[in-house]
Amino acid sequence: MIDDARFDVLTDEELARRPFDELVVALQQTVQRLEGGNVGLEESIKLYKQGLRLHTACETRLREAELTITELGRRGVTGAEPED
Amino acid sequence: MPDQPTLWEQPEPPDEDEARWAEPPRAAPRILRVTDLNRRVRSLLDSDSVLADVWVEGEVSQPSFPPSGHCFFTLKDANSQVRAALFREELTRAAMRPEHGMNVIIHGRVRAYEPQGVYQLYVDTIQAAGAGDLHARYEALRRELAAAGLFEEQRKRPVPRWPRRIGVVTSPVGAVWRDITNVLRRRYPLAELVLSPTVVQGVTAAPAIVRALQRLYAQDAIDTIILARGGGSLEDLWSFNDERVVRAVADAPVPIIVGVGHESDVTLSDFAADLRAPTPSAAAELAAPDAAQLATVVGRLRDRATSALLGRAAEQRRSLDAERRALVGLAPDIGAARQRTSDLLDRGARALDDRLGRRRMVVESAVATLRTLSPAATLERGYAVARTADGRIVRDATQVAAGDPMQVIVARGTVETRVERPRVDATEELLS
Repeated sequence: MIDDARFDVLTDEELARRPFDELVVALQQTVQRLEGGNVGLEESIKLYKQGLRLHTACETRLREAELTITELGRRGVTGAEPED
Repeated sequence: MPDQPTLWEQPEPPDEDEARWAEPPRAAPRILRVTDLNRRVRSLLDSDSVLADVWVEGEVSQPSFPPSGHCFFTLKDANSQVRAALFREELTRAAMRPEHGMNVIIHGRVRAYEPQGVYQLYVDTIQAAGAGDLHARYEALRRELAAAGLFEEQRKRPVPRWPRRIGVVTSPVGAVWRDITNVLRRRYPLAELVLSPTVVQGVTAAPAIVRALQRLYAQDAIDTIILARGGGSLEDLWSFNDERVVRAVADAPVPIIVGVGHESDVTLSDFAADLRAPTPSAAAELAAPDAAQLATVVGRLRDRATSALLGRAAEQRRSLDAERRALVGLAPDIGAARQRTSDLLDRGARALDDRLGRRRMVVESAVATLRTLSPAATLERGYAVARTADGRIVRDATQVAAGDPMQVIVARGTVETRVERPRVDATEELLS
C-alpha cells in the first residue's frame, strides 16, 4: 500500500505505475481523512495535493492501459505432454 | 491415449521414409485405390455376423430430415458416437420419430458407406428406452456432489472487484477466447490475462481441462479464473459434467467463474463455480469492472477531496471570525475590569486607612496605660524605691541589716541613708 512516507519519495511516473486498485484505495483513504475532522488546514492542503496526484495517476493508468496477455504451457498442450 | 487432433493442432504427418523402409520390401507393394480400400472394409464389416444383426442403446443427437424423406442422426453415449441412417420405408413403419436428446434402443446392421469412407448404423427398428442415460448419470452425479457439499452457497466467494491477473481456461482458437479478450480489452485493460489453453471437446477434454485448471492454480497472484466454452450439443458440453472437472472447479484456490454454452446450458461445473455466467462473454464481464465507470468513480473522489478542502477552509474562516468576535466582545470587559480593579483598590485603601486609624487609637491608649505604670509616675504619687549599696532593690527587710548604707529614690532626687533597724513584720501597719 502507499503510505504517507512512501508518498513523498514516489515520483509521479512511479506513482502511475502502481497497481490501479492500490491507487484508488489510497485516493479513497486520502479523501476520507480529508473529510474526517481532526485535520488542520495545513494538513488538509497537504492531503488535498496528495489526492490530486493520486487522481492524476489513476487517470493516466486508465488512459494508457493496454490489456496484457500471457499464455501458459502452450507447447504442453500441443502434444509434448503425455495424456493420462 | 494421445491427444485427439483439435482445431489448432494438426497430427504430425507420418514419416514417409520410415513407413517406406520399416519393412524391407520382399515383393513389390500392392497399391490400392481408395475405392478398393473402402470396398475391402465394407466386405470385412459385411462378413461380421454380429454387426449384421445388432441391438444398440444410445442417445439421439441432432437428427436431420432432408427432403429425401430419410432420417440421419448421431447415436451416442458419454464417450462415443456413431452415425445412423433411418431410411424412409423404415421411418414410416417406426414406432417413433427420432428426436434430439431421446434415449433409444435400435436394431439394425453396421455397414461401411463407401463414397465417404465411414461406417454407419442402418436402422430398421427404433424404440424409446425411457429417460436418457446421460441425463440419469447427470442427475446421479449432481445428487452425489451436492451431498458432498460441492455446490453449497457458503462455499462461494465474491469475485475480486479489481483483479490484476485474470486466469482463463478455454480453447485458444475460436470465438470464445476472442470474445473474452475483446470484452476485457474494452472493459478493463488494466488487467493481465493469463491463458491456460485446453481442448474443450471430445473424450480427452475432461482431463485436459483439469490439467489446464491446475496449471493456473500453480500460478502466483491470479485473482480470478474464468472457465469458458462456447455453445454446443449436450455431448459437446459433457466434459463440464465430468466429475473430475467439477471437482477441479470446486478446488479452485481463487474465485472461479464458469461460462459454458448458452444461457440454457447448466452444467455441474456451473454449480461448483463461485459465480455462474450465462455465456463466456458474460463471464468476462463479471470478472472485471468497467473502466469507464472507474473514471467516474475516481473523478467523484477528486470532487469529494475538493469540497472537503473548501469546507475545511470555510470552517477555518468561520472559527477565525468567531475568535475575532470574541476578542471584540472582550474589550468592554477590560474597561469594566479596570473599573472594578480601581474600585477594589479604593476600597482596599479605605479599609487600610480604617484599620490604621483603629490601630493608632489602640496604641495611644496603650501608651497612656504604660505611662501610668512607669516608675516616674509611681514616684510622683509618693512611692519611693530603696536600693542597697550594690544597687539591688530592697523588697524584703531581711535584705539589709542595721547600719547598712541604703539609697532611697524619690520623685525628685535621692536620699543617701543608713539602716536603723530592719523590721520584718511591719508592712501591714505601713499600708493600713
